[in-house]
Amino acid sequence: MNTRIAKEILLLYRGPIDDSDPQFRAALDYAKSDLELGQWLREQIKCYDAIRAKLRGIEPRPELADKIVCRRPIPFPRDWSRISQLAAAILISATVTALLIKWSEHGNRSVAGAQEIFVTGEVLDMTCYIASNLSGPEHAYCAKVCIGNGEPAGIKDRDGKVYLLTGEPGQSINAKLADYAAQVVTIKGKKSVRDGFAQLQVEEIRKL
Amino acid sequence: MSADLEFENLVRLYYRDLYRFGLSLTGSEADAADLTQETFYIWANKGHQLQNPASVKGWLFTTLHREFLKTCRRQNRFPSESIDERTEDLPNVPAECAEQADSRTLLRILGEIAEDFRAPLVLYYMEDLSYKEIADVLALPLGTVQSRIARAKIQLLRRLSDTNLSLEQAR
Repeated sequence: MNTRIAKEILLLYRGPIDDSDPQFRAALDYAKSDLELGQWLREQIKCYDAIRAKLRGIEPRPELADKIVCRRPIPFPRDWSRISQLAAAILISATVTALLIKWSEHGNRSVAGAQEIFVTGEVLDMTCYIASNLSGPEHAYCAKVCIGNGEPAGIKDRDGKVYLLTGEPGQSINAKLADYAAQVVTIKGKKSVRDGFAQLQVEEIRKL
Repeated sequence: MSADLEFENLVRLYYRDLYRFGLSLTGSEADAADLTQETFYIWANKGHQLQNPASVKGWLFTTLHREFLKTCRRQNRFPSESIDERTEDLPNVPAECAEQADSRTLLRILGEIAEDFRAPLVLYYMEDLSYKEIADVLALPLGTVQSRIARAKIQLLRRLSDTNLSLEQAR
Protein backbone atom coordinates (compact mmCIF):
# COMPACT_ATOMS: atom_id res chain seq x y z
CA MET A 1 0.00 0.00 0.00
CA ASN A 2 1.22 3.51 -0.76
CA THR A 3 -0.45 6.93 -0.75
CA ARG A 4 -1.41 6.78 -4.43
CA ILE A 5 -3.07 3.36 -4.19
CA ALA A 6 -4.78 4.28 -0.92
CA LYS A 7 -6.10 7.47 -2.53
CA GLU A 8 -7.45 5.57 -5.53
CA ILE A 9 -9.28 3.17 -3.23
CA LEU A 10 -10.57 5.89 -0.89
CA LEU A 11 -11.89 7.97 -3.76
CA LEU A 12 -14.99 5.78 -3.49
CA TYR A 13 -15.19 5.85 0.30
CA ARG A 14 -18.37 7.58 1.49
CA GLY A 15 -18.00 7.47 5.24
CA PRO A 16 -19.80 5.25 7.77
CA ILE A 17 -21.95 3.58 5.07
CA ASP A 18 -18.80 1.97 3.65
CA ASP A 19 -17.16 1.08 6.96
CA SER A 20 -18.25 -2.53 6.74
CA ASP A 21 -16.91 -2.90 3.19
CA PRO A 22 -13.59 -4.81 3.47
CA GLN A 23 -12.15 -3.25 0.32
CA PHE A 24 -11.59 0.02 2.24
CA ARG A 25 -10.12 -1.41 5.43
CA ALA A 26 -6.42 -1.45 4.54
CA ALA A 27 -6.56 1.97 2.87
CA LEU A 28 -8.36 3.49 5.86
CA ASP A 29 -5.70 2.08 8.18
CA TYR A 30 -3.00 3.52 5.93
CA ALA A 31 -4.69 6.95 6.00
CA LYS A 32 -4.38 7.01 9.78
CA SER A 33 -0.60 7.06 9.46
CA ASP A 34 -0.44 9.53 6.54
CA LEU A 35 -1.45 13.03 7.66
CA GLU A 36 -1.77 14.46 4.17
CA LEU A 37 -3.87 11.53 2.98
CA GLY A 38 -5.99 11.77 6.12
CA GLN A 39 -6.63 15.46 5.42
CA TRP A 40 -7.52 14.67 1.76
CA LEU A 41 -9.88 11.93 2.92
CA ARG A 42 -11.72 14.21 5.38
CA GLU A 43 -12.13 16.81 2.68
CA GLN A 44 -13.45 14.31 0.16
CA ILE A 45 -15.97 12.90 2.67
CA LYS A 46 -17.17 16.45 3.40
CA CYS A 47 -17.44 17.00 -0.33
CA TYR A 48 -19.45 13.78 -0.71
CA ASP A 49 -21.80 14.79 2.11
CA ALA A 50 -22.34 18.24 0.61
CA ILE A 51 -23.18 16.87 -2.85
CA ARG A 52 -25.42 14.20 -1.38
CA ALA A 53 -27.30 16.74 0.74
CA LYS A 54 -27.84 19.01 -2.26
CA LEU A 55 -29.13 16.19 -4.43
CA ARG A 56 -31.31 14.70 -1.72
CA GLY A 57 -32.72 18.13 -1.01
CA ILE A 58 -34.51 18.12 -4.37
CA GLU A 59 -38.23 17.69 -3.83
CA PRO A 60 -40.79 16.63 -6.43
CA ARG A 61 -44.01 18.57 -6.77
CA PRO A 62 -46.25 17.64 -3.84
CA GLU A 63 -49.11 16.52 -6.07
CA LEU A 64 -46.98 13.88 -7.83
CA ALA A 65 -47.71 11.11 -5.30
CA ASP A 66 -51.48 11.78 -5.44
CA LYS A 67 -51.38 11.81 -9.23
CA ILE A 68 -49.62 8.44 -9.34
CA VAL A 69 -52.02 6.90 -6.81
CA CYS A 70 -55.16 8.29 -8.47
CA ARG A 71 -54.21 7.16 -11.97
CA ARG A 72 -53.08 3.73 -10.92
CA PRO A 73 -53.95 1.13 -13.57
CA ILE A 74 -56.22 -1.62 -12.35
CA PRO A 75 -54.47 -4.91 -13.01
CA PHE A 76 -56.36 -7.87 -14.39
CA PRO A 77 -57.63 -9.81 -11.36
CA ARG A 78 -56.00 -13.20 -11.18
CA ASP A 79 -58.87 -14.96 -9.51
CA TRP A 80 -58.58 -18.49 -10.85
CA SER A 81 -62.08 -19.57 -9.73
CA ARG A 82 -63.54 -16.67 -11.76
CA ILE A 83 -61.29 -17.47 -14.70
CA SER A 84 -62.57 -21.09 -14.60
CA GLN A 85 -66.16 -19.81 -14.51
CA LEU A 86 -65.43 -17.59 -17.49
CA ALA A 87 -63.85 -20.48 -19.43
CA ALA A 88 -66.92 -22.67 -18.70
CA ALA A 89 -69.22 -19.88 -19.86
CA ILE A 90 -67.24 -19.50 -23.11
CA LEU A 91 -67.38 -23.26 -23.69
CA ILE A 92 -71.16 -23.42 -23.14
CA SER A 93 -71.68 -20.37 -25.32
CA ALA A 94 -69.57 -21.90 -28.14
CA THR A 95 -71.53 -25.15 -27.96
CA VAL A 96 -74.87 -23.34 -28.10
CA THR A 97 -73.64 -21.22 -31.04
CA ALA A 98 -72.51 -24.31 -32.94
CA LEU A 99 -75.92 -25.93 -32.39
CA LEU A 100 -77.70 -22.78 -33.52
CA ILE A 101 -75.56 -22.58 -36.66
CA LYS A 102 -76.36 -26.18 -37.48
CA TRP A 103 -80.05 -25.51 -36.90
CA SER A 104 -79.81 -22.34 -38.98
CA GLU A 105 -78.19 -24.28 -41.85
CA HIS A 106 -81.20 -26.51 -41.80
CA GLY A 107 -83.62 -23.54 -41.82
CA ASN A 108 -81.75 -21.64 -44.51
CA ARG A 109 -81.99 -24.24 -47.22
CA SER A 110 -84.43 -21.91 -48.93
CA VAL A 111 -81.44 -19.68 -49.84
CA ALA A 112 -80.47 -22.35 -52.34
CA GLY A 113 -83.35 -21.27 -54.47
CA ALA A 114 -82.80 -17.58 -53.90
CA GLN A 115 -82.33 -14.99 -56.61
CA GLU A 116 -78.76 -14.37 -57.77
CA ILE A 117 -77.96 -10.64 -58.06
CA PHE A 118 -75.09 -8.14 -58.29
CA VAL A 119 -74.97 -5.32 -55.75
CA THR A 120 -72.51 -2.42 -56.02
CA GLY A 121 -71.93 -0.25 -52.98
CA GLU A 122 -69.97 0.41 -49.82
CA VAL A 123 -69.13 -2.45 -47.46
CA LEU A 124 -70.52 -1.48 -44.04
CA ASP A 125 -69.83 -2.41 -40.47
CA MET A 126 -73.53 -2.93 -39.67
CA THR A 127 -73.23 -2.40 -35.93
CA CYS A 128 -71.72 1.08 -36.20
CA TYR A 129 -73.85 1.94 -39.23
CA ILE A 130 -77.20 1.11 -37.65
CA ALA A 131 -76.36 2.27 -34.13
CA SER A 132 -74.40 5.45 -34.97
CA ASN A 133 -74.79 6.00 -38.74
CA LEU A 134 -71.03 5.61 -39.20
CA SER A 135 -69.69 4.78 -42.66
CA GLY A 136 -67.32 6.11 -45.31
CA PRO A 137 -63.53 6.53 -45.38
CA GLU A 138 -63.41 8.24 -41.94
CA HIS A 139 -64.79 5.08 -40.42
CA ALA A 140 -62.72 2.67 -42.52
CA TYR A 141 -60.30 1.62 -39.80
CA CYS A 142 -63.01 0.97 -37.21
CA ALA A 143 -65.08 -0.89 -39.79
CA LYS A 144 -62.14 -3.10 -40.70
CA VAL A 145 -61.50 -3.95 -37.05
CA CYS A 146 -65.17 -4.56 -36.23
CA ILE A 147 -65.83 -6.74 -39.27
CA GLY A 148 -62.55 -8.57 -38.69
CA ASN A 149 -63.70 -9.26 -35.14
CA GLY A 150 -66.91 -10.87 -36.34
CA GLU A 151 -69.38 -7.97 -36.20
CA PRO A 152 -72.07 -8.22 -38.90
CA ALA A 153 -71.13 -6.72 -42.28
CA GLY A 154 -73.42 -5.26 -44.91
CA ILE A 155 -73.47 -3.49 -48.24
CA LYS A 156 -75.39 -0.36 -49.14
CA ASP A 157 -76.22 -0.05 -52.81
CA ARG A 158 -76.47 3.19 -54.79
CA ASP A 159 -80.19 3.41 -54.11
CA GLY A 160 -79.57 3.26 -50.35
CA LYS A 161 -80.79 -0.29 -49.88
CA VAL A 162 -78.79 -2.20 -47.29
CA TYR A 163 -78.12 -5.97 -47.40
CA LEU A 164 -76.75 -8.09 -44.60
CA LEU A 165 -73.74 -9.98 -46.02
CA THR A 166 -73.26 -13.62 -45.05
CA GLY A 167 -71.16 -16.54 -46.19
CA GLU A 168 -72.19 -20.08 -46.86
CA PRO A 169 -74.31 -21.34 -43.95
CA GLY A 170 -71.99 -22.02 -41.01
CA GLN A 171 -69.03 -20.24 -42.59
CA SER A 172 -67.95 -16.75 -41.72
CA ILE A 173 -66.97 -14.40 -44.51
CA ASN A 174 -65.89 -11.61 -42.18
CA ALA A 175 -62.15 -12.11 -42.67
CA LYS A 176 -62.56 -11.60 -46.40
CA LEU A 177 -64.99 -8.68 -46.08
CA ALA A 178 -62.74 -6.89 -43.55
CA ASP A 179 -60.27 -6.21 -46.38
CA TYR A 180 -62.97 -4.28 -48.21
CA ALA A 181 -64.35 -2.39 -45.21
CA ALA A 182 -65.68 1.06 -46.23
CA GLN A 183 -64.69 0.43 -49.86
CA VAL A 184 -67.02 0.35 -52.86
CA VAL A 185 -67.22 -3.13 -54.35
CA THR A 186 -69.53 -5.26 -56.46
CA ILE A 187 -70.77 -8.40 -54.79
CA LYS A 188 -72.35 -11.28 -56.59
CA GLY A 189 -74.59 -13.26 -54.27
CA LYS A 190 -77.88 -14.87 -53.49
CA LYS A 191 -80.50 -12.51 -52.21
CA SER A 192 -83.15 -13.56 -49.72
CA VAL A 193 -85.60 -11.49 -47.73
CA ARG A 194 -87.25 -12.28 -44.43
CA ASP A 195 -89.56 -9.91 -42.56
CA GLY A 196 -88.46 -7.11 -44.89
CA PHE A 197 -84.79 -7.60 -44.08
CA ALA A 198 -82.52 -8.38 -47.04
CA GLN A 199 -79.61 -10.76 -46.91
CA LEU A 200 -76.97 -11.38 -49.55
CA GLN A 201 -75.09 -14.65 -49.38
CA VAL A 202 -71.75 -13.70 -50.90
CA GLU A 203 -70.37 -15.72 -53.80
CA GLU A 204 -67.90 -13.30 -55.29
CA ILE A 205 -66.46 -9.89 -54.44
CA ARG A 206 -65.07 -7.55 -57.06
CA LYS A 207 -63.25 -4.36 -56.17
CA LEU A 208 -64.17 -1.46 -58.43
CA MET B 1 -53.67 -4.71 3.76
CA SER B 2 -55.62 -4.04 0.56
CA ALA B 3 -53.75 -3.88 -2.74
CA ASP B 4 -54.73 -0.20 -3.16
CA LEU B 5 -53.38 0.74 0.23
CA GLU B 6 -50.23 -1.27 -0.33
CA PHE B 7 -49.68 0.53 -3.64
CA GLU B 8 -50.28 3.93 -2.05
CA ASN B 9 -47.85 3.20 0.79
CA LEU B 10 -45.21 2.10 -1.68
CA VAL B 11 -45.66 5.28 -3.74
CA ARG B 12 -45.39 7.52 -0.68
CA LEU B 13 -42.32 5.66 0.53
CA TYR B 14 -40.29 5.76 -2.66
CA TYR B 15 -41.61 8.39 -5.06
CA ARG B 16 -39.18 11.07 -3.87
CA ASP B 17 -36.12 8.84 -4.28
CA LEU B 18 -37.26 7.67 -7.68
CA TYR B 19 -38.05 11.21 -8.80
CA ARG B 20 -34.59 12.42 -7.75
CA PHE B 21 -32.97 9.54 -9.57
CA GLY B 22 -35.07 10.30 -12.67
CA LEU B 23 -34.29 14.00 -12.47
CA SER B 24 -30.55 13.35 -12.17
CA LEU B 25 -30.71 11.06 -15.21
CA THR B 26 -32.87 13.25 -17.43
CA GLY B 27 -32.33 16.76 -16.10
CA SER B 28 -36.01 17.45 -16.75
CA GLU B 29 -38.69 17.68 -14.06
CA ALA B 30 -41.43 16.56 -16.44
CA ASP B 31 -39.44 13.55 -17.68
CA ALA B 32 -38.53 12.62 -14.10
CA ALA B 33 -42.19 12.74 -13.05
CA ASP B 34 -43.18 10.63 -16.08
CA LEU B 35 -40.48 8.06 -15.35
CA THR B 36 -41.54 7.87 -11.69
CA GLN B 37 -45.18 7.43 -12.66
CA GLU B 38 -44.39 4.81 -15.29
CA THR B 39 -42.22 2.88 -12.82
CA PHE B 40 -45.07 2.60 -10.32
CA TYR B 41 -47.51 1.55 -13.04
CA ILE B 42 -45.17 -1.21 -14.11
CA TRP B 43 -45.04 -2.22 -10.47
CA ALA B 44 -48.86 -2.26 -10.31
CA ASN B 45 -48.93 -4.73 -13.20
CA LYS B 46 -45.84 -6.82 -12.56
CA GLY B 47 -44.86 -6.27 -8.96
CA HIS B 48 -46.57 -9.47 -7.87
CA GLN B 49 -43.86 -11.39 -9.78
CA LEU B 50 -41.19 -10.16 -7.37
CA GLN B 51 -40.34 -13.04 -5.08
CA ASN B 52 -38.28 -11.24 -2.47
CA PRO B 53 -40.24 -8.34 -0.94
CA ALA B 54 -37.02 -6.94 0.53
CA SER B 55 -35.75 -6.09 -2.93
CA VAL B 56 -38.63 -3.77 -3.85
CA LYS B 57 -36.49 -0.64 -3.76
CA GLY B 58 -33.85 -2.16 -6.02
CA TRP B 59 -36.58 -3.41 -8.38
CA LEU B 60 -38.08 0.07 -8.64
CA PHE B 61 -34.72 1.69 -9.36
CA THR B 62 -33.86 -0.96 -11.94
CA THR B 63 -37.22 -0.46 -13.63
CA LEU B 64 -36.88 3.32 -13.73
CA HIS B 65 -33.39 3.02 -15.17
CA ARG B 66 -34.61 0.58 -17.85
CA GLU B 67 -37.42 2.91 -18.78
CA PHE B 68 -34.94 5.77 -18.99
CA LEU B 69 -32.70 3.75 -21.31
CA LYS B 70 -35.71 2.94 -23.50
CA THR B 71 -36.50 6.64 -23.74
CA CYS B 72 -32.89 7.38 -24.64
CA ARG B 73 -33.00 4.81 -27.42
CA ARG B 74 -36.33 6.12 -28.75
CA GLN B 75 -35.45 9.79 -28.65
CA ASN B 76 -31.67 9.66 -28.82
CA ARG B 77 -31.80 12.69 -26.57
CA PHE B 78 -28.94 11.86 -24.30
CA PRO B 79 -26.01 11.02 -26.54
CA SER B 80 -23.35 9.09 -24.71
CA GLU B 81 -19.77 10.27 -24.60
CA SER B 82 -17.10 8.06 -23.13
CA ILE B 83 -15.25 9.35 -20.11
CA ASP B 84 -11.53 9.34 -20.28
CA GLU B 85 -10.61 10.38 -16.77
CA ARG B 86 -7.44 8.91 -15.39
CA THR B 87 -7.12 8.11 -11.76
CA GLU B 88 -3.49 9.29 -11.82
CA ASP B 89 -4.79 12.84 -11.59
CA LEU B 90 -7.07 12.61 -8.61
CA PRO B 91 -8.61 16.02 -7.98
CA ASN B 92 -8.05 17.94 -4.79
CA VAL B 93 -11.39 19.66 -4.64
CA PRO B 94 -12.12 21.57 -1.44
CA ALA B 95 -15.46 20.78 0.19
CA GLU B 96 -16.48 24.44 -0.14
CA CYS B 97 -16.78 23.92 -3.89
CA ALA B 98 -19.55 21.41 -3.32
CA GLU B 99 -21.10 23.42 -0.51
CA GLN B 100 -21.34 26.52 -2.66
CA ALA B 101 -22.91 24.78 -5.65
CA ASP B 102 -26.69 24.65 -5.80
CA SER B 103 -28.67 21.60 -6.86
CA ARG B 104 -29.39 23.12 -10.29
CA THR B 105 -25.66 23.42 -10.99
CA LEU B 106 -25.11 19.86 -9.83
CA LEU B 107 -27.88 18.59 -12.11
CA ARG B 108 -26.42 20.49 -15.03
CA ILE B 109 -22.99 18.98 -14.43
CA LEU B 110 -24.48 15.51 -14.02
CA GLY B 111 -26.26 16.02 -17.33
CA GLU B 112 -22.88 16.61 -18.99
CA ILE B 113 -21.59 13.24 -17.83
CA ALA B 114 -22.15 10.29 -20.16
CA GLU B 115 -25.27 8.31 -19.24
CA ASP B 116 -23.39 5.05 -18.65
CA PHE B 117 -21.42 6.81 -15.95
CA ARG B 118 -24.16 9.11 -14.66
CA ALA B 119 -26.53 6.44 -13.36
CA PRO B 120 -24.00 4.70 -11.08
CA LEU B 121 -22.71 8.07 -9.87
CA VAL B 122 -26.20 9.27 -8.96
CA LEU B 123 -26.95 6.08 -7.03
CA TYR B 124 -23.57 6.42 -5.30
CA TYR B 125 -24.45 9.90 -4.08
CA MET B 126 -28.15 9.72 -3.45
CA GLU B 127 -29.03 6.30 -2.20
CA ASP B 128 -27.72 4.29 0.69
CA LEU B 129 -26.93 1.38 -1.56
CA SER B 130 -23.82 -0.74 -1.32
CA TYR B 131 -21.71 -1.11 -4.47
CA LYS B 132 -23.11 -4.61 -4.92
CA GLU B 133 -26.66 -3.23 -4.76
CA ILE B 134 -25.82 -0.49 -7.28
CA ALA B 135 -24.37 -3.16 -9.57
CA ASP B 136 -27.58 -5.21 -9.21
CA VAL B 137 -29.82 -2.22 -9.95
CA LEU B 138 -27.91 -1.42 -13.12
CA ALA B 139 -27.27 -5.07 -14.04
CA LEU B 140 -23.53 -4.45 -14.33
CA PRO B 141 -20.50 -6.25 -12.89
CA LEU B 142 -19.29 -4.85 -9.57
CA GLY B 143 -15.88 -3.88 -10.97
CA THR B 144 -17.45 -1.97 -13.86
CA VAL B 145 -19.70 -0.06 -11.49
CA GLN B 146 -16.84 0.96 -9.23
CA SER B 147 -14.65 1.99 -12.13
CA ARG B 148 -17.48 4.05 -13.65
CA ILE B 149 -18.25 5.74 -10.35
CA ALA B 150 -14.59 6.62 -9.82
CA ARG B 151 -14.19 8.10 -13.30
CA ALA B 152 -17.48 9.95 -13.21
CA LYS B 153 -16.73 11.31 -9.74
CA ILE B 154 -13.42 12.72 -10.91
CA GLN B 155 -15.18 14.39 -13.80
CA LEU B 156 -17.93 15.78 -11.56
CA LEU B 157 -15.43 17.21 -9.08
CA ARG B 158 -13.32 18.75 -11.85
CA ARG B 159 -16.35 20.40 -13.45
CA LEU B 160 -17.55 21.58 -10.07
CA SER B 161 -14.16 23.10 -9.40
CA ASP B 162 -14.11 24.76 -12.86
CA THR B 163 -17.61 26.18 -12.29
CA ASN B 164 -16.57 27.68 -8.95
CA LEU B 165 -13.44 29.11 -10.51
CA SER B 166 -15.42 30.81 -13.28
CA LEU B 167 -17.88 32.20 -10.74
CA GLU B 168 -15.06 33.62 -8.65
CA GLN B 169 -13.43 35.17 -11.70
CA ALA B 170 -16.73 36.74 -12.70
CA ARG B 171 -17.08 38.43 -9.27
